Amino acid sequence: MENIIEISNLNKSFGDVHAVSDLSFIVKKGELFAFLGVNGAGKSTTINIMCTQLKKDSGKIIIDGCDLDKGSDKIKRRLGVVFQASVLDNALSVYDNLESRAALYGITGDAFKKRLDELSTLLKFKDLLKRTFGKLSGGQKRRIDIARALIHQPKILVLDEPTTGLDPQTRKLIWDVIYELKENQQMTVFLTTHYMEEASEADYVVILDNGKVSAKGTPHELKTSYTGDYITLYNACEDNVKSLNLPYEKTKDSYKISVSSTKEATDIILKNPALFTDYEITKGKMDDVFLSVTGKSLTEGN
Amino acid sequence: MNILFTLTKRNVKLFFKDKGMFFTSLVTPAILLVLYVTFLGNLYRDTFLSQIPASFQISDKIINGLVGGQLVSSILAVSCITVAFCSNFLMVQDKANGTAKDLTISPVKSHILSLSYYIATLISTILICASALIICLIYLTFAGWYLTFSHVILLFVDVFLLSFLGTAISSVINFFLSTQGQISAVGTIISAGYGFICGAYMPIYSFGDGLQKVVSLLPGTYGTSLLRNHAMQGVFSEMVNVGIPTDAVEQMKNSVDCNVFFFGNKVEISSMYIFISVTVIALVGIYIMLNALKSKKASK
Repeated sequence: MENIIEISNLNKSFGDVHAVSDLSFIVKKGELFAFLGVNGAGKSTTINIMCTQLKKDSGKIIIDGCDLDKGSDKIKRRLGVVFQASVLDNALSVYDNLESRAALYGITGDAFKKRLDELSTLLKFKDLLKRTFGKLSGGQKRRIDIARALIHQPKILVLDEPTTGLDPQTRKLIWDVIYELKENQQMTVFLTTHYMEEASEADYVVILDNGKVSAKGTPHELKTSYTGDYITLYNACEDNVKSLNLPYEKTKDSYKISVSSTKEATDIILKNPALFTDYEITKGKMDDVFLSVTGKSLTEGN
Repeated sequence: MNILFTLTKRNVKLFFKDKGMFFTSLVTPAILLVLYVTFLGNLYRDTFLSQIPASFQISDKIINGLVGGQLVSSILAVSCITVAFCSNFLMVQDKANGTAKDLTISPVKSHILSLSYYIATLISTILICASALIICLIYLTFAGWYLTFSHVILLFVDVFLLSFLGTAISSVINFFLSTQGQISAVGTIISAGYGFICGAYMPIYSFGDGLQKVVSLLPGTYGTSLLRNHAMQGVFSEMVNVGIPTDAVEQMKNSVDCNVFFFGNKVEISSMYIFISVTVIALVGIYIMLNALKSKKASK
């Protein structure tokens, strides 16, 4: 897969604060890329620089073959951005909002109506077109925000915490749309999120801490490198679990035993067949990866 | 052109849908009219009467026409600027609530965006101030009507030109604002202060020499004077017709700034139009240049 975003040695400071320090990473075309970090880690600064809203101090950014230093207009056409907070006009109708934003890309008249029809079908908001944007629910607003970001058919969709505060049904709808765009339109999705279960769906993850890359890899690679496995054991006596000399946690009806790897778990089970009659092995979660890499939990960072 | 049209349409719709902004702009001229009639009407009346030689009798209709002309011209001179500021605050609100970011992540040229705000503000200001002028004309029909058809047309031209000026001034000043607090502060300063420096609340003629010279450098002075001339010319002509000495009438014209002087030289009406037009062109140029520089700086 070819690279669609290449960031090399990016630096940005605000006075004495180094928001981004020597940041380098690559995003492959068509992948779902998760960019993680607590608030203040440098995620939004990086996104703002990519979207030409902030000037970088140094470094290089190439998006879909276009160098940011050699002109931002082409890059702006390739990016669709869903901001953390909705920035559409509350007083206008959904139709008027999307019409004015489409015009920014030169999409007017019949071309706009055709695109609006496609998006309202994809995001299921045909019935909201005449409604005032400010009077929509959070989930409905989010759908329109995504439609705005997609109005000019960008190659890269940047989603800055798109599902924060949404109900499960709307979150599911949004994720269905993300999968649809990724699978059927080969769109690259650049995601920041505080939900680790969402990050674990990504093809590639970069964890940012204090403006620097702390870890990167696929969710599987990160889990393998930064967390161990768990054996959840049912119907066992605590003395037998203690005899394994491994750290464990007692829950209501089971014991959660920590092991360093799946191989170690397998060895222990094979050595103690009488004890392990009802059990399951699970890999560490992305939350554990994040905690292990940064020493912080995402909720703690907020 | 389609992009500019759609963005302008968005800005105009937002202004008229924001009930706070629209209502404030609309009622400001009406409130000013009521306040002027209530508090300044008698003062203006007494001032005029004191300037007419004691040997002359003058009808109430003429005096009411004079007072009405001065009130109307003052209201319009202030409204064209304050309404423009009020309407143009959309530009600042877009920055304050993050909408500007959503607009500038697109490849739209900065001069298109800035022009869309300018044109939208101009349309809103003209609509509101032209409505205010119609209300003022209705008031004059009751107070004392001495306007000719050409005076009425010229009053509309003056309102259009001052709306261009108000929009241009507000565009340049609002460019530097980015928060709701700044909007409130500037709004208050303009509402309270502009009427004084343009001669709407107190005639420039009554200022000291130094201050008169300073305000003669400002385009608002000539805007007020144009409105005064076109709102009061008819009644001055009537005064000459009924036998008031020309000298007394000229003195009265000086006292209400129908005649204004630039370092001792009387400024002709045509020069006032030219001065205001050139100022508008210069301010619009500065506004577009500021936006272009900002955009260039951001993309580096």
